[in-house]
Amino acid sequence: MAKLEIEGRVFDVDGDGFLSDPSVWNEEVAALIAKSDGIDQLNEKHWAILKIIRDNFETHGNAPMIRKICQETGIKLREIYDLFPLGPARGACRVAGLPKPDGCV
Amino acid sequence: MGRVLNIDKPLEILRKGVDSKLETNLNACVKCSLCAESCMYYLAHKEPQYIPGAKAELVSSINRRYNTLSGRIAPALFNARELDGEMADKMVDMLFGSCTMCGRCVKHCSIGVDIPYIVRKGREMLAAMDMVPATLQSTVDAALNTGNNMAIPQEEFVDTIKWMEEDLIDEMGDQNARIPLDEYDKEIFYTLNPREPKFFPLSISAIAKIFYAAGESWTISSKYYDVTNYGFFNGNNQQAAQIAGYLYDEIHKLRGKKLVLGECGHGSRATRWEGPGYLKTEFDFETVTAVELLGSYIREGRIKLDKTLNNSKVTIHDPCNLVRNGGLYNQIRFVVKNAVSDFQEMNPYGEDNFCCGGGGGALAMSEYNERRIKIGEIKATQIARTGAKVVITPCHNCVDQLQQLNHTYKLGVKIMTLAEIVADALVINKQ
Repeated sequence: MAKLEIEGRVFDVDGDGFLSDPSVWNEEVAALIAKSDGIDQLNEKHWAILKIIRDNFETHGNAPMIRKICQETGIKLREIYDLFPLGPARGACRVAGLPKPDGCV
Repeated sequence: MGRVLNIDKPLEILRKGVDSKLETNLNACVKCSLCAESCMYYLAHKEPQYIPGAKAELVSSINRRYNTLSGRIAPALFNARELDGEMADKMVDMLFGSCTMCGRCVKHCSIGVDIPYIVRKGREMLAAMDMVPATLQSTVDAALNTGNNMAIPQEEFVDTIKWMEEDLIDEMGDQNARIPLDEYDKEIFYTLNPREPKFFPLSISAIAKIFYAAGESWTISSKYYDVTNYGFFNGNNQQAAQIAGYLYDEIHKLRGKKLVLGECGHGSRATRWEGPGYLKTEFDFETVTAVELLGSYIREGRIKLDKTLNNSKVTIHDPCNLVRNGGLYNQIRFVVKNAVSDFQEMNPYGEDNFCCGGGGGALAMSEYNERRIKIGEIKATQIARTGAKVVITPCHNCVDQLQQLNHTYKLGVKIMTLAEIVADALVINKQ
């Protein structure tokens, strides 16, 4: 377990900086993690993506496929990579407070 | 550290007569330390424990303790060490947490000791004591239980492929621009890294577009398409064999003629070179990497490329398992030089290239994230010095590590697979 400090708040995280306890997540936490990734302001599109990731996690216990994110938000694939420069896994899923997905991510 | 370990199984791996290659390598190191400067962990930390020879010495010292007369009688004199809790923890930290098994040290060793082979055997000893880092084991377990290392359910995989196929049909304006699933008797049985369907499917579109342009007969299994085999990293040969068996059985089921390994360094190695060993059987089908396949399309004129379509300066990151340990140095360059107009090598490159820093299962092991990013600075500096705007690497694991280095060290480059850069240069004559 490691600690992540952003603007005076301290979170328990895994070695990759993903929240150890996804239940401490809220919108304020999301904004803080995003800031630590260099996203100063989460816009409507960011929130739409985060909401779907979060809902999927709460229902199915994992991150949704990128297809689902695109189809349900109407945001184009390439734009998602621009919105979260670290990508859907290390970027969006981390901001959404999910545990790190397995595999080559 | 007072816990009791069952050391019978790990010591069996070292027992005399079991593995002559291992015995030779364990007794060969002359402690010259030439390997030190070859290792990213040593260069980044400058601590003697990270010298490759010192990592190998952990296993050698246990071997001396249990398998030599001098080590049994006077262990302190011969630096022969017991396999106790403290030693096992040190091995986990050094052999799982401080080695990407990139093999650069072997090239710099004065006598060619196969240090990654020793590391791998050390990992087998740890696996025999159930001491594989949890995050790495979880990736192996996902593959064992579901057929792919991200545990993607079959119906979600199928939905994603259909979605990519619709896009391709639109783009090509041709109903025949397909991504065929579970079709029998095809020339090519293609494989993917699960991160492609899950998060990064543009590389699937890219290869599908190339197959379309080449008029290829191909298919992907909707159940067993995973080219990775993290059993190669966790040191559990039985699990590695089970995972290798999934692809072996599936290509037979679909009666595919040629197994094409998607862009994945360790997966290519674990399937093509280690797979027959894991399964104790010869492959009765041809096996090639996507790199070689793309090269053959260009040589045979099956696809036409216009390199002026890729004008940015491009460099190559050589995946260790494909180049230093796989011999594809020329093949990768042949494809890239046919697809881009401005190419610049890194320094060093090819067989002497530095690992991305995420190999050996490192990318999956959160426990050692900080080290992974720290050693990655060496790679980041290499990239920055080329002045390239695009880094090509035919390995999805490298792609992910480079992506993270790009962000952390503010490189401002684009990381692409080989199929993606080739697809961007394709000239397709639409009917």
